[in-house]
Amino acid sequence: MAQEASMKIDEVVDGRGLFCPGPLMELIKTIQLKPVGTVLSVLSTDEGSAKDIPAWIQKVGQEYVKTEKKDGYWEVIVKKVK
Amino acid sequence: MERISFVLASDSLEKLHAVGLMASVAAVSQMEVNVFVTMNAITAFRKSTVEKKAYRVEGEVGRHLLEKNGQMFYDLLQQGKMMGSLKVYACGMALELIGEGLDKYLPVFDEVLGVAGFLGKAEGGQVLFV
Repeated sequence: MAQEASMKIDEVVDGRGLFCPGPLMELIKTIQLKPVGTVLSVLSTDEGSAKDIPAWIQKVGQEYVKTEKKDGYWEVIVKKVK
Repeated sequence: MERISFVLASDSLEKLHAVGLMASVAAVSQMEVNVFVTMNAITAFRKSTVEKKAYRVEGEVGRHLLEKNGQMFYDLLQQGKMMGSLKVYACGMALELIGEGLDKYLPVFDEVLGVAGFLGKAEGGQVLFV
């Protein structure tokens, strides 16, 4: 698990308003283009995606940092480690 | 690589969409995915069906999907192809019965296959029938 306190967000992927699997697909498109070490924040109004994204992160071996419930949406933070 | 294969036989919009969702997410999750489109499902991929949105809707979720302009099953499959290892096969028998070639269908298909060919592609993995 990464050190949350010192984690600076490098890139925000705003998937709010998209149906599942839209937010996950937006994350994948972005993460592919970023260098290793990039910390991404994915925003989603879809609750399924808030659960799906951490599952995907673990499946593909990236680093899951945390999920936070915000006002009407979820924020999932991931670090690209490979 | 894990392998999952779908036999998509239904022309119900809800079932087409469910396969589109599962297949595309599996493809971006480092799984090898095959989708074999057979029986009435093939008619949903016909260009004229797509242009007219003449899908067979079973119920509430399908109606909302059309009203809210959700991403359609063929876009999901296309996305899975672009971002992962996903192949879509058209059933040769269904096309032969209908008497049409792939030129009348969306360019989402990789090739026309028979059952034996599909079983070869699906060998060793999970197969889901929808």
